[in-house]
Amino acid sequence: MAGSMFSYSTLIQAVVTGNYIKSVELVNEALKEGVSPQDIVSLGLQAGMRTVGDKFSAGDFFVPEMLLAARAVTKATEVLQPLLSTSDMPTTLGRVVIGTVFGDIHDIGKNLVTMFLRGAGFEVFDLGMNIPADSFVKAVKEHNPDILGLSALLTTTMSSMGDTLKALEVAELRSRVKVIVGGAPVTQHFAEHIGADGYGADGGSAIRLCRNLVGK
Amino acid sequence: MAITEKQRILAAARKQAVDKLPFGARIDVWYNYHSGHDTLPDKYRGWNIPDILRDQGAGIELRHSNIWKVEYRNTEVAVREDPPFTTTEYRTPKGTVSVKTMFTPQEGPWIPYELELPLKSADDYPVIEYLLENTVLVSYLDDYLKKVETVGEDGIVICSAPEYSPMQEIMRKIMGYEMFFYELNDHPSKVEHLYELMKGLVWQKLKILAESPVELPMVCGNWSDDIHTPVFRKYFVPWLQEVGEFLHSKGKLTLVHIDGEMKRLIPMFLETGIDVAEAWSPAPMTSVTTAELRKAWGDKVTIWGGVPAILFEPQYSDEEFDAYVKHLLQEIAPGYNFIVGMGDNLAFDGKIERVGRIAELIDKYARLPIEI
Repeated sequence: MAGSMFSYSTLIQAVVTGNYIKSVELVNEALKEGVSPQDIVSLGLQAGMRTVGDKFSAGDFFVPEMLLAARAVTKATEVLQPLLSTSDMPTTLGRVVIGTVFGDIHDIGKNLVTMFLRGAGFEVFDLGMNIPADSFVKAVKEHNPDILGLSALLTTTMSSMGDTLKALEVAELRSRVKVIVGGAPVTQHFAEHIGADGYGADGGSAIRLCRNLVGK
Repeated sequence: MAITEKQRILAAARKQAVDKLPFGARIDVWYNYHSGHDTLPDKYRGWNIPDILRDQGAGIELRHSNIWKVEYRNTEVAVREDPPFTTTEYRTPKGTVSVKTMFTPQEGPWIPYELELPLKSADDYPVIEYLLENTVLVSYLDDYLKKVETVGEDGIVICSAPEYSPMQEIMRKIMGYEMFFYELNDHPSKVEHLYELMKGLVWQKLKILAESPVELPMVCGNWSDDIHTPVFRKYFVPWLQEVGEFLHSKGKLTLVHIDGEMKRLIPMFLETGIDVAEAWSPAPMTSVTTAELRKAWGDKVTIWGGVPAILFEPQYSDEEFDAYVKHLLQEIAPGYNFIVGMGDNLAFDGKIERVGRIAELIDKYARLPIEI
């Protein structure tokens, strides 16, 4: 907001250091000063997560720092949510539906990516684990996401990713959504083999990949 | 007298020269999955893992979990079965914590998946501390010895003992990775106290191990550099050094399971003094090639693995598979301090005949020193 004395750099620093108590304090302070919730999100919280993502990509940060930063953003966003929900201004970078594919009951990687994407400013619908292809199709119809994220830890369940892509084709939804894949046994080669739109090796690259896919 | 595959594996683990590249293949995920679905190839119906691997001409890597039984003092353990879920409550004088797992024989690994871990909030610390202080382990070798007998001289039984370092136990089995890093940030003294108690429990395991016939115990593993690097330096390196010194003094070797991303852990790993890094999973499953790892570690660590699980899958042709294995042999030439294996297992749709193909290629190209 023009004329406001609020320091975005302080909020960015709170996010980068993963200080969720400080990030909530600063968001409340910004609101008192009349800063718009949209500016707090884009110039403070999302800017902080971009810095964290850059540090992760550069090898200076690791998953723990990403987790703490994402928590700081999540807690701060909870304060803003009532105000954001009444606004017409877009406040998310895009919409993502995510889940661990059928037959796979491992969710650590998927949970991390979910947290990172939420922290980065995406609206994420987490379907959970062991999700059949039909349920992914239903969720794409229901939520109309920009991106569908499929996770697998086991080589035994990677084939469910291909099954999900085929189910999207059958439902004539494939062209409406970008599909990304990730998980320990998944590779770029495999992603191309099954016709996915992208592959992320880790949470940091998932953020970059999703931003690229939605053009932001 | 000809050297056996077990002798080859142990010699390579000890950095001794051998006549031929050792091969220890692990296929339990493939075997369990097809047993659970009744889809083993006709030829192998009713066979066990060692006999299938013998038939393929491969050396055997068989896994075993515990060489102890667990007893809890002053604690009631209540188990509730609701297949595929199992909920276990630990009722102590300090309160109750619970663990919920899910197990299905249709999944290849045949490992109960932990849906709920004992630490759900800071209120659970006193209960878990009590549990750790009152857990008693008693040596139990019968099941391990049966597996050793089954494998004989055709391979080796890797015993997960103690399986994980104390902080890895806390991260994986007490609170999970996400909560661990929140707790380490928010309540560091509580986590440190838990760490000290967990060390006591893991030392119980090490003392049982020291008196056992286990030759090559797995002392930690299942890490990934993006998660573990910050804690590896502080909590893993000194622990692994201490464990290595103790077990070496008892005539044992040490092995860790490294099927995750290793790039940023490679330099620190050298400081641990670990003898064998097993389940090495190179590119394309991780970002590091075998040549890069060999260059970084030289002859200081014996590497076991090198053929990523994904290469056994139908998406790779037989020609691509052969080319990958031959390239691996070139990368590791002259081939000492290396045991060929998978990173980390044969997947359910992996081709079992490719295990045999590795054995053929080793016979053809990998008499040591390799000159391919």
